[in-house]
Amino acid sequence: MSDQTVVYTLPVLPLKNAVLFPYLLMPLSAGRPGSVAAVEAALASESKEVLVFTQRDGDVDVPGQGDLYPIGTKAVIRKMSRSEEGHLELLVMGMERVAMVKLDNSEPFLKARVTPLPLPEDKGPEIEALQGALIELAGEALALAQPNAPQELRGLLAANEDPLRLSFVLASMFSLDAAKSQALLEAPTRADALTMLHKHLTHEVQVLELRNKITTEARSEMNKEQRDYLLRQQMRAIQQELGDKGGEQAEAEQLRERLAKADLPEDILKEATRELGRLEKLPPGAPDYNVIRTYLDYVLELPWKKATEDSLDIPKARQVLDEDHFGLKDVKERILEHLGVLKLNPHAKAPILCFVGPPGVGKTSLGQSIARALNRKFERLSLGGLHDEAELRGHRRTYIGALPGRVIQAMRRAGANNPVLMLDEVDKMGHDFRGDPAAALLEVLDPEQNKTFRDNYLDLPFDLSKVLFVTTANALDTIPRPLLDRMELLRLAGYSEEEKLEIAKRYLLPKQLKETGLDTDRCTIPDETIRKIVSSYTREAGVRQLERAIGRVARKIALRFAEGQAESCVVRPDDLVEMFGPEPFNQEQARRELPPGVATGLAWTETGGDVLYIEGTLLPDGKGLTLTGQLGEVMQESAKAAQSYIWSHAGSFGIDPNLFKNSGVHVHVPAGAIPKDGPSAGVTMATALSSLYTNLPARSDLAMTGEITLTGLVLPIGGVKEKVLAARRAGILDVILPKGNQKDLRDLPEGIRNEMHFQFAERIEDVLRLAIPQLSERMDEARTRRIDHAA
Amino acid sequence: MSSRTKTWALLTEHPAPWQPSVDVYRTRYGWLLKFDLAGVRREDVSVTVCGRRVSVSGIRRDSLNEEGCSYYSMEISYNRFERTLEMPCDLGDAEVSLQVRDGLLLVRMITEGNQYV
Repeated sequence: MSDQTVVYTLPVLPLKNAVLFPYLLMPLSAGRPGSVAAVEAALASESKEVLVFTQRDGDVDVPGQGDLYPIGTKAVIRKMSRSEEGHLELLVMGMERVAMVKLDNSEPFLKARVTPLPLPEDKGPEIEALQGALIELAGEALALAQPNAPQELRGLLAANEDPLRLSFVLASMFSLDAAKSQALLEAPTRADALTMLHKHLTHEVQVLELRNKITTEARSEMNKEQRDYLLRQQMRAIQQELGDKGGEQAEAEQLRERLAKADLPEDILKEATRELGRLEKLPPGAPDYNVIRTYLDYVLELPWKKATEDSLDIPKARQVLDEDHFGLKDVKERILEHLGVLKLNPHAKAPILCFVGPPGVGKTSLGQSIARALNRKFERLSLGGLHDEAELRGHRRTYIGALPGRVIQAMRRAGANNPVLMLDEVDKMGHDFRGDPAAALLEVLDPEQNKTFRDNYLDLPFDLSKVLFVTTANALDTIPRPLLDRMELLRLAGYSEEEKLEIAKRYLLPKQLKETGLDTDRCTIPDETIRKIVSSYTREAGVRQLERAIGRVARKIALRFAEGQAESCVVRPDDLVEMFGPEPFNQEQARRELPPGVATGLAWTETGGDVLYIEGTLLPDGKGLTLTGQLGEVMQESAKAAQSYIWSHAGSFGIDPNLFKNSGVHVHVPAGAIPKDGPSAGVTMATALSSLYTNLPARSDLAMTGEITLTGLVLPIGGVKEKVLAARRAGILDVILPKGNQKDLRDLPEGIRNEMHFQFAERIEDVLRLAIPQLSERMDEARTRRIDHAA
Repeated sequence: MSSRTKTWALLTEHPAPWQPSVDVYRTRYGWLLKFDLAGVRREDVSVTVCGRRVSVSGIRRDSLNEEGCSYYSMEISYNRFERTLEMPCDLGDAEVSLQVRDGLLLVRMITEGNQYV
């Protein structure tokens, strides 16, 4: 201001995108040939002065006067060095504001005639206020942009007394763009400069605030998604630090340890290890995770190699079997045989036994007893009503909630691979569209195949060959042939009266007395009483009814004691009427006298044997044969066969042939509500019809059984023991059996065998002679006649 | 950023003229200021004393420019310099003398008697 007229000429350094303010040091780099030449020229001078003008357009390389802002800064070069690329690295100090008078753009560098343009120096409260506001704003912006900036910086800012110098510092600090910086440099008054900068800084602060907000929001959003993950990672790190591995990793680790400890066959171990590898790769939330876990648990818990040691002490085993069950000689013998085999050959295949017999004869408890005698684990699975093949063999693991089949489950429960596995009610399996469980059982029960039994769930071969399978059934006809073929049948026929008495005395009575809290001192039930209960109040092959009846007696006695009776009591047979009421099974006693046309047969039922009366009567006007009493096909056919045989041999029996021509026959088998079938009533039919046609009564104290053929042969039948016992129960001591069944008497208890009288028939004539005594005479006569005739 | 911050700090500290380094001695008679001002001519320096404040300013001209040579690099500051010192005592009455020797500017200030403070 002092000297407006001073004009001087200096080299010009054009700046791209930057403005050099007076009072400020600025690092610059000169690369353009013109700039380099200008700098060299300035350095060659005594004062090292250069003019710095900013280009309007940063892209112009060789600017003319129009390309440069008219106001610039005179600067002194403080330091100079050369960079590797040949650029000049400068440190220049702004000295004063200058206005261009004329640009001389002759080669090799720009020169300008300039005149100093002193900075404005207006003062006033407005300036002071603006200055204070600027410092505050700058502090704010600084805090936002660089929270880590040293505190002194603000102090230094405040130390700038010259408001313009302050605004220059701030402008370079907050990287004001070139155009704005230039405007700031050109500002005609301090107020203008400060206002401009204030505006810019306010904007800057807003931008910074917004930016911080966006960053914070983005971070919190990221947090929501990654927080869990980070926390889990941290938790894992903490757990590792604490030494306990957490969550799924510990689980996998545990499983690995268990795998290592478990004594698994090699291929099983391989498979399990592979599954474990899959498990480790899965996050615990994955649906497959639990499936694999459960699977591995199963694999680990199965007794692949674990077996209990058999007790091979035969006398002890015999003792155990005898303790638990009375009688049942065959079965016990078979078990002991197996024990003997095991003693000689420990790797012997276990037999697959099938206990067939009426309910209540102790099939299931016998299984337990076998396990006890062999010192093996006992597992039982009831197949009654089972109709889904998958129940036995399991579901594939792909199904939700899939489980191994019952066989594998039983093996897991047993915890040993050689248990006694009882398959109860094998005759009561159902089958439907989902498959036939009996077919699945074929594999389980085949000693050749079950060494590598594959459950659908496990999908690994499991050795069932050491398992002693015991199946039970009430009847054999519902068991499919191939299945039946695999099993060794052991029949448990009903018990005789004597056996029942023994069972009652040894097991049932003590058990019931104990349950009611009585003892033998207080209550005695003599043999006659038990016998009476057996014969008059129960009718069964097994001993369940008997047990209930004894329990009832015991309870009644217990009540008496509870009511204050002091002296011990003895239950007499006569007391039973008072306790149970009249005898329920009276009518089943043998009929005292039989009219002609009635014969006594013997039948086998699932609940034991029964006495069966076959009644026949002539129908004067009728024709043919009428059969009633719910007879099955086979039974009807054997009735027809019997009739045909008698017709064809009418002469030898002394029967009037007109009877056949003129009247029909009606045969009825009482207890008409019960379906009956089977061929074994053949001889009885024949006897009844012979008796009818000859009008001679059959013996009422004799029962018979046997199949007949059209040629009059008597064929053996099954269920001899049950039938004989039924006859004995009914008070019939004479029994006619087919000759072929003679061997079966061996099964009968000694007492029964001695008490009863058996006769064996080969032909129907033998039966008729025995059953109808008067017919025997007639037949002899007829034969004599025939012989005479022939003679 | 931090290096830039440092640069700004530098910027705010330094006034436009450069500042020579100075050693301050106490002498038997007063003070001796020794400025590192090599290449500065005696006539280009002015010293003003105002109370406790002593200011040395001037200009360093690069007069050793030979024909045909050019700078490869430059570290010495040229042109205007200024240095103001705050002395511990009033030196308004002191007798000031200047001497240029071996590239140093020696400013002697002799105070009457032994008033050091």
